[in-house]
Amino acid sequence: MIKTPDLIASLAANATPVRRLRPPVMRAACWLLLAAVVLALLAVNQGIRPDLVQRLQEPAFAISMAASLLTGVLATIAAFLVSLPDRSRLWLALPVPALIAWLSNVGYQCLTQWVAIGPNGMSFGEAAPCFATLVLTGLPLSLAMLVMLRYAAPLRPTAATFMGSLAVAAITATALSLFHVIDATVMILMWNFGTAVLFVGLAGVFGQKMFRWVAPRTLYARD
Amino acid sequence: MPHDRRGDGPPLRLVSREGGSDTHTQPSVARDIDWSILMARAQEGDRAAYHRLLQEITPYLRSLAARRHRDLGDIEDSVQDVLLTVHSIRQTYDPARPFAPWLVAIANRRFIDRLRRQGRTRDREIPLTAKHETFCEPAANLEERTDGRELEGMVNNLPPAQQKAIRLLKLKELSLKDAAAASGMSVTSLKVNTHRALKSLRKMLLDRREP
Repeated sequence: MIKTPDLIASLAANATPVRRLRPPVMRAACWLLLAAVVLALLAVNQGIRPDLVQRLQEPAFAISMAASLLTGVLATIAAFLVSLPDRSRLWLALPVPALIAWLSNVGYQCLTQWVAIGPNGMSFGEAAPCFATLVLTGLPLSLAMLVMLRYAAPLRPTAATFMGSLAVAAITATALSLFHVIDATVMILMWNFGTAVLFVGLAGVFGQKMFRWVAPRTLYARD
Repeated sequence: MPHDRRGDGPPLRLVSREGGSDTHTQPSVARDIDWSILMARAQEGDRAAYHRLLQEITPYLRSLAARRHRDLGDIEDSVQDVLLTVHSIRQTYDPARPFAPWLVAIANRRFIDRLRRQGRTRDREIPLTAKHETFCEPAANLEERTDGRELEGMVNNLPPAQQKAIRLLKLKELSLKDAAAASGMSVTSLKVNTHRALKSLRKMLLDRREP
C-alpha cells in the first residue's frame, strides 16, 4: 500500500489547472437550453400537433402540460444541486409539488373520462412516431445529463441519477403531448406515466454502470 | 462485532452521528478561509498550495475517520480514499463557499462506502483457517466419508502391485512419472496395474450392490 505522504506528493504533482464548475442553476439552464433546442428541431421536423392552440384552451390539458414542463425544469435544477457535495439533500424535494400536480392531473383525467375514445375507437397508429419522439428527445438529453452530472458519481449516484432521469422523463412527456395527438386518456396515462417509469427504471438499472464509465478517472483505480 | 462496540460508548456515538459539527475537530473560521484560498489556488494549478492543503487536511480527515473506523489500516485507507476523491472532483469546489462542509460531505460519503463494503464482506466471506486446510489431505477426507472406509477395505484386497498403483496414481493423484519414481515400477506396469485394479474394484463394487 502506498504511504499517505507519497500519495499526497503524487497527487500534488498531478495538480493540473481545472476549470471550476459554473453555478448549478446556470448549468441547469444550459441543459434546459439544450432541451429547448432538441424540442425546436423536432418541431421543425415532425411539426406541432395541429390542434395544439385549441387544446391549450382546455384547462386540464394546459395544467398537465405546464405541470410536466415545470417538473422537468425543477428536477433539472435539483439534479444539478444534489450533484454537488456541499448542498443539502432536501433539494430532492424541489420537483415534488409539480410532479404531484402532473401525475394527479393525468390520473384525474383518466378517472373522469375513462372511456373518452374518439369516433374511430382507440387508435394505436400513433405509437410508432410517438416512440420515435421518445427516443429522439430522451437519448441526447440523457447523455448530456449523464456527462454533466459525472462529478456526482462518487457522492450521491442514486439521488443524482433519479433526479436526472425524472427531468428527462418530464421533458420527454411534454414533447410527446406537443407533437402527438393522443386523445384516449388511457394513452395519455400510458405515455406520460410510462415515459417517467421507463426513464427512471432505465436509470436504476444502468445508471451506476454508466456513471462509472464517465466518472473522473482516479476514482476507481484502486477498486 | 464493531457495531456493538460502537454502541457501548454513548459519547462516541453522539459525536459520530453529527459528522463535522463538533467543536474539537471543527476547523476554525480562519483555518477554513485559509483552506479555501489554498484550494482556489490549487484549482488554478498551484502545486505547492495544493500540496500544503492536502498535508493540512490529512490530520483532520484522520480524526474524522477515527470516529467511524477502529482499525488503523482502515483509517489510513479511508483517508487516502478521501484524498483521491477530493483530487478527482476538485473542480466542484466553489471558493465562494466554506471549504470544511464540502470536505466533510465527501469524507462521510467515503467512510460510509467503506463501512458498507466491510459489512458485505463480513456477511458473505469466511476467512480460511487451519481446520479448512487439513481437509485438503486425502486421509482426512477418507475418514470423513462413510464410503471411504469401504473403498479402503476393497483396495486392501487387491494384489500388492495393483494396490500400490491405485494408491499412488488415484488416491494420492501423483503423475505417472512421480509414481514411477516413488514405487520403482515402470510407467507401463503402473498403467497396466491401475487398469486392472480399477476393473476389479468396479466388479467388487457392483457385486456388492446387486445381490
